[in-house]
Amino acid sequence: MNCKTRLDPASLDALAHDLDQLRLAINSQVGERDARHICRVRGTAQAAAISGRGLLMFGFGPVSWVLGVLSLATAKIVENMEVGHNVMHGQYDWMNDPTLNSQSYEWDIVCDGDHWRHSHNVQHHDHTNIVGKDHDYGYGMLRLTESQRWSPWNLLQPLWYLLLAINFQWGVAIHDIKIGRYLKRRMGKEEFRQRMRPFLRKAGRQLFKDYVLFPALAFWQWPRVLLGNLLANLIRNLWTNAIIFCGHFTTDAHTYSREEVRNESRGQWYLRQIQGSSNLEGGRWFHLLSGHLSHQIEHHLFPDLPAPRYAEIAPQVREICARYGIHYNTGSFWKQYWGVLLRMARHSLPTRPRLAAQGS
Amino acid sequence: MDRSPSASSSRADGAPLRGRIARLWRHPLLAPLNDGAAWERAAQLLRADFSLTEVRATVVGVEQHLPDLTSLWLRPNRRFRGFLPGQHLALTLNVDGARQSRCFSLSQAPRADGLLRLTIKRQPQGVVSAAAHALKVGQTVGLSQAQGRFAARPGDQPLLLISAGSGVTPMIAIVQGLVVKQPQRSLTLIHCGNSSSGIACADELNDLARQWPGLELILHDSACSGRLNPAQIAAYVPDWQQREALACGPSAFMAMVEQRYAGRLAQLQQERFGFVAAPVDPDAPQHKVRFGDPEQVFTAAAGQSLLNAAIAAGLQPRHGCGKGICRSCQCRKRSGSVRNLLTNAISGNGEELIQLCISTPLSALDLDPQPQGTNR
Repeated sequence: MNCKTRLDPASLDALAHDLDQLRLAINSQVGERDARHICRVRGTAQAAAISGRGLLMFGFGPVSWVLGVLSLATAKIVENMEVGHNVMHGQYDWMNDPTLNSQSYEWDIVCDGDHWRHSHNVQHHDHTNIVGKDHDYGYGMLRLTESQRWSPWNLLQPLWYLLLAINFQWGVAIHDIKIGRYLKRRMGKEEFRQRMRPFLRKAGRQLFKDYVLFPALAFWQWPRVLLGNLLANLIRNLWTNAIIFCGHFTTDAHTYSREEVRNESRGQWYLRQIQGSSNLEGGRWFHLLSGHLSHQIEHHLFPDLPAPRYAEIAPQVREICARYGIHYNTGSFWKQYWGVLLRMARHSLPTRPRLAAQGS
Repeated sequence: MDRSPSASSSRADGAPLRGRIARLWRHPLLAPLNDGAAWERAAQLLRADFSLTEVRATVVGVEQHLPDLTSLWLRPNRRFRGFLPGQHLALTLNVDGARQSRCFSLSQAPRADGLLRLTIKRQPQGVVSAAAHALKVGQTVGLSQAQGRFAARPGDQPLLLISAGSGVTPMIAIVQGLVVKQPQRSLTLIHCGNSSSGIACADELNDLARQWPGLELILHDSACSGRLNPAQIAAYVPDWQQREALACGPSAFMAMVEQRYAGRLAQLQQERFGFVAAPVDPDAPQHKVRFGDPEQVFTAAAGQSLLNAAIAAGLQPRHGCGKGICRSCQCRKRSGSVRNLLTNAISGNGEELIQLCISTPLSALDLDPQPQGTNR
């Protein structure tokens, strides 16, 4: 495992300055091309959803069923990752298009938009990889670093992970409710009920859509629609989960303690975002299907930059990292994902912090 | 636009049923089938000006009057509810990927074929007017419904219209409307321009005056007679005090007209283009911020983030990270200018979205805490 880089205050300021300059330069180019991109991607996703649901509802035979499932799964993946996630970050707010506004966008997943905006945009993106503060770190059920407390429950970690991956949209949906705090009686019943309400509303609507409305519209074909929707949701869950886990839990992705980030400067914040994130290498389609989260490092530096721009600035970010001696964590999907699985398996045992000398 | 009484009463009867159907249609359980915006986008692939909710229009002609003055002939879709001469509307264009709106006067009285004309002056730094000048026949634009009450009052009182530059645009519509409806009404138009750079719509006005002898046209050329002043108004139109007056033009010109009508402003109607933005003053120690509805006012020191200032003033704006990452505190700025504390970028003074936690004021501000704004 790579060591965590620490920089002196002067270098940190210089790093912050370099990254700010990069951001200004790329921001001045944002315009028509980005607007066309998001409109086209949204249109394509909607067309894929229509054709997928159409094939499931009115098609005959197994081939149309498989095509329908794949089409609907792709539609859900693109809508969630490239459109929903990125729009809700405010990447396209400058377009003044009310249907692409970060604060009102609602996506095709059981997670309520406002819950996501809070747990993801506010908490995860600010407190990235701070153990105890970033609730996305291990999702409250997985132990991925020595500094998380071990319990016998972690021995079955691979099994819990499999369950989480299969039901990933539900994991994301209940994330901001903070059920753990309620169970530990650190949250009152009334607050818990308040937090449950948006989740129940959104989940009810999603379930109704995929398992009542569309099957019913297909009349006697309802079983193939219901099963197809179930499978499309499953494919989406597995894919988004794999991509997201590769973002922060790879072998070389570092964690931080609350003490480390006390009075954090802007340079330190940038440094933590780089060292807490990891990229995936792949072609244009891979980047699109991952919602450009394959450029997790660039995304965490500039969460509200239109995502296709991440690929453009990646060489410069990499060059800046090299200049400051910061490890730029990237690799193929399988290499990175294998690293995540190994890490998960290793920390299911009561691992101890390594020698202090290695960590400094 | 006139609407027959029978049509409006049948609408009223139909309203409860229609309302119920609309409510049913909008029910969240019907999503995504009831995503009207998505269906509209699909329909617009076939017909670009189609919409069930918005006024959209096709550019059917472009008429260049002067190098910096162009008229667009537009065919609106059926959502457009008509207009009265003198009214204006907001034109929405795609400017480098972003929707931008500006108000322009309709420069042609309502026509039988429903075509609209907007006459647009290119502003030195105006991105929207530049985009409007670049429009070509066949392109689609967004429009609002007609707005404003700038119009001759009904009755027989003689009229005096005073305009300068592109301020002539509503006057042409008003004159065209009046010569048809009230040809006997006494009507004088003083229009100022500078012949060295061209007088806006001079030929058109001369044609109108030839066609309608009842219209007295005075073209004031400031290249030879200097800028119009209050005394000249009285000299051109000795009975100006008996006339109902309408004026439209740049702000210095409007100030001059107001001076003429000091003490008798009730007689004068004025049309100003856009709003007058608060002046940018980066050296002022603090700025006044109007926030929300019901309106609250707080002051923010130069260099202080608007979020901190609002919280210090006891307001409770929605917010999150406080570092410009999460956009929870995003607001719609209606007017005024801010500096981005992270990038030091200085905003324009028009309407746009800003993040309270990383913006500091450079002028008085008017903010709307709803990021969508109220005109959704």
